[in-house]
Amino acid sequence: MAVGRFIVTAVVFALVWEFLARAQTGSMIISGPVAIAEYLTNNSGLIVRAATETTTNAVLGFLWGNLAAMMLAVIVTLLPRSEWTISTLALLVFCIPLIASGPILRVLFGPGPGPQITLAALAVYYTTFLAFLVGLKAVSQNWTDLMGVYGRGRVATLFTVRLRASVPYLFVGLQIAAPAAFLGAMIGEFTGAERGLGVLTLRAMRGLQTDATWSLACVSAGIAMLGYGCLGALRRKFTPHAPVILFSPKRLDLGRSITIQLIGFVSVVGLVFVLWQGAMDAFGLNPFFAKRPGDIFRFLSEPAHLNTLLAALGATLAYAVPGYLAGLGLGAGLAILLMLWPPVARATMPIAIALRAVPIITTAPLLVLAFGRGFTGTVAIVAVMIFFPTLVACLQGLRQTPAQIVDLFESYGASRFQLLRSAQIPAMLPALFASARMAVPAALLAVTTAEWLATGRGIGVLMALTSSTSDYNMLWSCVVVLCLVAVVSYAFVAWCEKKVLGIYANEQLA
Amino acid sequence: MTRADIHCDNIQKSFGAVETVSQLSIVFKSGQTTALVGPSGCGKSTILRMIAGLETPDTGSIRIGQETPRQVARRGGLSMAFQDPSLLPWRSVRSNIALGAELARKPVDRVDELIDLVGLVGFSDHRPAELSGGMRQRAAIARSLISAPDVLLLDEPFGAVDAITRRRLNRDLPPLWRERKTTTLLVTHSVEEAVLLSDRVIVLCPRPARVLADIPVDLHHNRALPETNAPAFRDLAMRVLTALEEAA
Ligand SMILES: Nc1ncnc2c1ncn2[C@@H]1O[C@H](COP(=O)(O)OP(=O)(O)OP(=O)(O)O)[C@@H](O)[C@H]1O
Ligand SMILES: [Mg+2]
Repeated sequence: MAVGRFIVTAVVFALVWEFLARAQTGSMIISGPVAIAEYLTNNSGLIVRAATETTTNAVLGFLWGNLAAMMLAVIVTLLPRSEWTISTLALLVFCIPLIASGPILRVLFGPGPGPQITLAALAVYYTTFLAFLVGLKAVSQNWTDLMGVYGRGRVATLFTVRLRASVPYLFVGLQIAAPAAFLGAMIGEFTGAERGLGVLTLRAMRGLQTDATWSLACVSAGIAMLGYGCLGALRRKFTPHAPVILFSPKRLDLGRSITIQLIGFVSVVGLVFVLWQGAMDAFGLNPFFAKRPGDIFRFLSEPAHLNTLLAALGATLAYAVPGYLAGLGLGAGLAILLMLWPPVARATMPIAIALRAVPIITTAPLLVLAFGRGFTGTVAIVAVMIFFPTLVACLQGLRQTPAQIVDLFESYGASRFQLLRSAQIPAMLPALFASARMAVPAALLAVTTAEWLATGRGIGVLMALTSSTSDYNMLWSCVVVLCLVAVVSYAFVAWCEKKVLGIYANEQLA
Repeated sequence: MTRADIHCDNIQKSFGAVETVSQLSIVFKSGQTTALVGPSGCGKSTILRMIAGLETPDTGSIRIGQETPRQVARRGGLSMAFQDPSLLPWRSVRSNIALGAELARKPVDRVDELIDLVGLVGFSDHRPAELSGGMRQRAAIARSLISAPDVLLLDEPFGAVDAITRRRLNRDLPPLWRERKTTTLLVTHSVEEAVLLSDRVIVLCPRPARVLADIPVDLHHNRALPETNAPAFRDLAMRVLTALEEAA
C-alpha cells in the first residue's frame, strides 16, 4: 500500500519535472529526468568512478571525524573540568568555514585525497560531539548513585551506564553526519582535487553544461540521502525511539561574570594560536606555504593588503547577511504557519527532516542555474542552506510547549493565535536561537562556496584566486578573517539570545 | 566477619539554606537490623545516602568499623535498594540482579536463588519495562542482596510491592540478613513492618532530623517471625505509633 502510493507519487513528480524541463528548454535551467538518464547512461563509467572516489573519501572522513568526536566526548565525561575548554575549542574549529580550510589543507597535504577526507571529518565531528555528549550526560542520578554505592567511579560508570545509555543519541548524531560527510568530501574536491564528483560538478558548471550539472547534483544528493537512510534504518533497528536533540551547544554559563567569560575566551583563542604555531614548527612545515600567526600579522599590517581583504569581506557579507536572515525568517515563519494547522505540521515534519539531510551544497549549482550568478543566486544558496535545519528545530521547539500550559489556554477558550503568541512562540525561541547560532558557520560556508563556484566576487573568489596564484599570505589571511567573523558573529547571536530569552522566555527556560 | 558498627558522630547536613540533619549521633550495632521511621521529608533517605557515602556530612563524621563509607563501598561491602528501583532498562532481570555482584566484584553465582527468593521465576529474561512497579522493586532488592554486603541499606524497598508478596518477603528476608550478620538499615512507612523486621526502631522528627524515640525490639529470640497479634508486639507498635504522631 505504502509502496504503491510512493511509486505513484514518484511517477507524478517525474512527469511534472519532465514537463517543466521541456517547457524551459531554451533557457538551459532545468534538465528533465529523460535528459539526466541519458547523460548518466552515456557517461556511466566516468560517473561511477567519480562517485566511488567521493564516497570512499566521505566514508573515511565519516569514520575519522566521528571517532575523534566520540573520543572528545568521552574525555569531557571523564574529566568534567575540561568541558569548557574542549567545548570552546571544538566550537572554534567548527566555526572555520570548510571551504576556507580547503585550500590550506590542499597546500599542506599536496595532491591526493587528504584534504577531502579531512574536510569530511571536519564536517561531521561537531554534531556527533554534541549529540554523543548529550547522550553520555543523559543518565539519571539513580544510576550514578547505584555506581556510587559500590564505590565505582567515572570509568566504571562510563562503561556500565553512560556508553549504553548514549546509543540512541549517538545514532541521531551519526545519521545527521552521513550526508554532512559527503558534503565535506565534495567541498574538498571543489578546492582542487583530481578526481571525484566535486571535480566533475565544477567542470560542468564552468562549461554551462546543464544536463551534466543536474545529473551530478542528483547523483550526489542521492548518495548522501542513501547514507542518511541507511543510518536511519540502523538506528531504528537498535533504538526504536529517537530522542530529540537540539544540535547546538549550551549557551555560555549565565552564572559566570562577563569578565571571566572574556578571559576564558581570550585564553582559548590564545591556545589556538599557540597550537597553530606549534603544529607548524613541530612538523617543520615550509614557511613558504605554511604561514604562522606572525606572518599573517605582518602581512595584514600593510594597508593595501588589509583593504583588499576588507573589500572582499564586505562583498561577502552583503550576500551572507540577507541570506542568513532570510533563511532564519523563512524557517521560523513556516514553522509557525504550520503550527496553526497541526495536521499539516505533522505531515511536513518527516519531509523537512529528510530535506534537512540533503547536502544543500550539492544542489548549489542548480540554484546558480536558476537564480543566476549574482545577488539572488548567492542569497538563495545561503537561505536554503539555513532554512531546513531552522524549520525542523523550530517545529520541534513549538512542540515542546508544556502540555499543561496548552490545556490551561484551552480551558479559557483562548484562540490559536493567543496560544501561539503567548505560549508557543516563547517556547520556540530557544530552538530558534540555537539554530541561529549553528547557522552562522553554515551561512559563511554557503556564501564562500557559492562565490568560489560562481559569482566572481567576495572572499570566496579571493581565496580561489590566491590559491591558484600561490599568494599564501593572502590565502591564510582570508581564512583567519573568516574564522574571526564566524566567532564574533556567533558570540553576537549568543548575546542577542541571552537578551531576548531573558525578556520573553525566562519562565519557559526554567 | 569483622564487627563493623556504624558510628554517626554529630553529623549535620544542609541543602542550601535548609538544614536537613543537625547534630545527629547514632550507633548502629553490627549485625542488627534497625528500622528508621518518620514523616515524609524528614531526612531518612539523606541519612541512608550519607551512610552509603553518596553524600558527605557538612560536619561530623561517619565510620563503619575502622573505615569510611567510601572505603567500605569500594571493597563491595555495601549495598542499597533505592526508593526508585533504578534498573538499567537495556539489561534483563537476571543481568540487572547480577550487576550487584559485578559492581561489588563478588562472584555472580546466586542469581537463580535470589530470583526465586523475590518471586521472579519465569521473568528472568524480561526487560524492566515489561515488569510491574512491584516486580521492579523486587528485582532491585535481589540486586542489593546478591553481593552479600556487610551493610545493607533498604530505602522503602517494599513501597510498590503487593500485600501478599510483601508478607512473603517480610518472612523470607530477615533470616537471610540475620544469618549473614548483615548490618541492616530499613526505612519504611509501615509501623508493623518496622517492628516485625527489626531489632530496634528509631523514630525521627523533621527539620532538622532528630531522634525522637529509640525503641528496642526484643521479639526475635527464636528464628520465627514475631506473632503480630501478640500483646508484646502490639505494645511496641503502639509505642512507635505514638512517637510518630508526636513527630508529625
Ligand atoms: N539533593 C537535594 N537537594 C535539595 N534538597 C534536598 C536534597 N535531598 C533532600 N533534600 C531535602 O531534604 C529533606 C529530606 O529529604 P529526604 O529525601 O531525606 O526525606 P525522606 O525522609 O527520605 O522522605 P520520604 O519519606 O518522602 O522519602 C527534604 O526536605 C528534601 O527537600
Ligand atoms: Mg526517602
